[in-house]
Amino acid sequence: MGAVYLAGAAMTRFGVRAESLFDLMAEAAHAVLKASAIESPDALVVSAMNPEEFVGEGNFASHVGTYLGLARTPSLRVETATSSGAAALFAAYAAVAAGVYRSVLVVGGEKMTHLPTPRVSELIGRSIDPYERSYGATMPALAGLVTRAWMARTGSTLKDISLVAVKNHANAAKNPWAHFQAPVTLDAVFGSRLVAEPLRLYHCCPISDGAAAVMVVAERAPVRIAAIGQGADYLALRYRDSFTGFHASQAAARAAYQMAGFGPERVEVAELHDAFTPFELISMEDLGLAPSGKAARMLAHGETALDGRLPINPSGGLKARGHPLGATGLSQVVELYWQLTGQAAGRQVEARVGLAHSIGGLATTNWVTLLERAA
Amino acid sequence: MEQIPGSRCGRCGRLAAPPARFCPDDATPMEPAAFPAHGEVISFTTLHSPPTGFTSPLHMALVELPGGARCFCHGSGTRGLKVGTQVAIESVDQIYYFSTLSLGERARLFWRRSGERSARLASFAKSATKRLGRFGR
Repeated sequence: MGAVYLAGAAMTRFGVRAESLFDLMAEAAHAVLKASAIESPDALVVSAMNPEEFVGEGNFASHVGTYLGLARTPSLRVETATSSGAAALFAAYAAVAAGVYRSVLVVGGEKMTHLPTPRVSELIGRSIDPYERSYGATMPALAGLVTRAWMARTGSTLKDISLVAVKNHANAAKNPWAHFQAPVTLDAVFGSRLVAEPLRLYHCCPISDGAAAVMVVAERAPVRIAAIGQGADYLALRYRDSFTGFHASQAAARAAYQMAGFGPERVEVAELHDAFTPFELISMEDLGLAPSGKAARMLAHGETALDGRLPINPSGGLKARGHPLGATGLSQVVELYWQLTGQAAGRQVEARVGLAHSIGGLATTNWVTLLERAA
Repeated sequence: MEQIPGSRCGRCGRLAAPPARFCPDDATPMEPAAFPAHGEVISFTTLHSPPTGFTSPLHMALVELPGGARCFCHGSGTRGLKVGTQVAIESVDQIYYFSTLSLGERARLFWRRSGERSARLASFAKSATKRLGRFGR
């Protein structure tokens, strides 16, 4: 298997955007073509979770290819629910590693804010087991169930999960690409309205528009993709026997560390899937970035802050950078690319190895990507 | 005694409620099974912005039935409920509802009802018997 690199990375500002999904994807994609100085990649991989219903478009990869000006470039779309961006990166990585292509443009995006929140909730909720959905289960409902069980088992507190929001908003305030540009206080988190008990509004990521893109190449470039691992779990929450961690994250991490030939001890910065703030703490332990039961203490001691030993979600994470579904997994990789190449002005950390972690559905199809600065 | 219909995998022994056609682990058809209608609360939540077709607040719980199958339930409230609480499950139109009423609570509830003393006693006895039957085995 050949070495695989990233030759460029770009994203749009996340948030409420007036532009069409195609214009957002073009903004990110064209910036990457320019940054990587590759005008005609061998192939295009597109990620979007549900463009059929969010924007009413089908045959989506061809549609994006034509819009971008890559109409006759072979293209495909990849979808694994909310982790689609990471899955698209994997498809490009696998094709380049196998020698099928030498350069693949990967672009992901979602346009969501034009729809009413209940409709967005319903569309995202399609990733839930149909029987559980028939009880009114939404993503926040399942996250609330997981959080309550995890808190009861581990002794984690509301303050623990609220401090994640405070940290990630503080980071986003330093990130011009983030949805939220203002810090929040612990009191504001505690005072926000209940969504799915024990989760409050500020424990949940926003609904965002945006796009992100990277260029995956065989030729040596500034950042190497050291590994991509995937893990899977039951669609139905009721089939799982433990809520103290996500099996799909643990399996993805094992696969990635094995592929990379190194473990979590070499990771110096991480972007984790904090769609709900307790997931950041759960994931730190799933991925071996925190010893079992120690994630909340690491956070409280500032070890995962921008100036900490292991900065987590320097971008602001899904919580505050935003979560335009199909773009999210790629935007984590864009942030790490910028961090590893010294282009994260205002929130720059010192790191040679970064980890991106993306959750699909309620942790049914998760990804762990390891990136390394090419010496 | 009320039972919850489910299924069992002949290969790995996994239990599912409601019945599933195939085992999620073994790609093999599951066999019919039934489980007692009570168990331990694994987790619960109250949803304040439920999807269309449901009224807020929407209470739901995941309950582990004897044997290990886990069952999704609605409920009328979560006051006093904890992870680990034992609840009874009743089925109405194939939707499951959990309830935590203890014998003492049932007695108090029926005592406060208006009506003949004998009628109150009879309804309490009926409810308590149903509950005892449910937990009897």
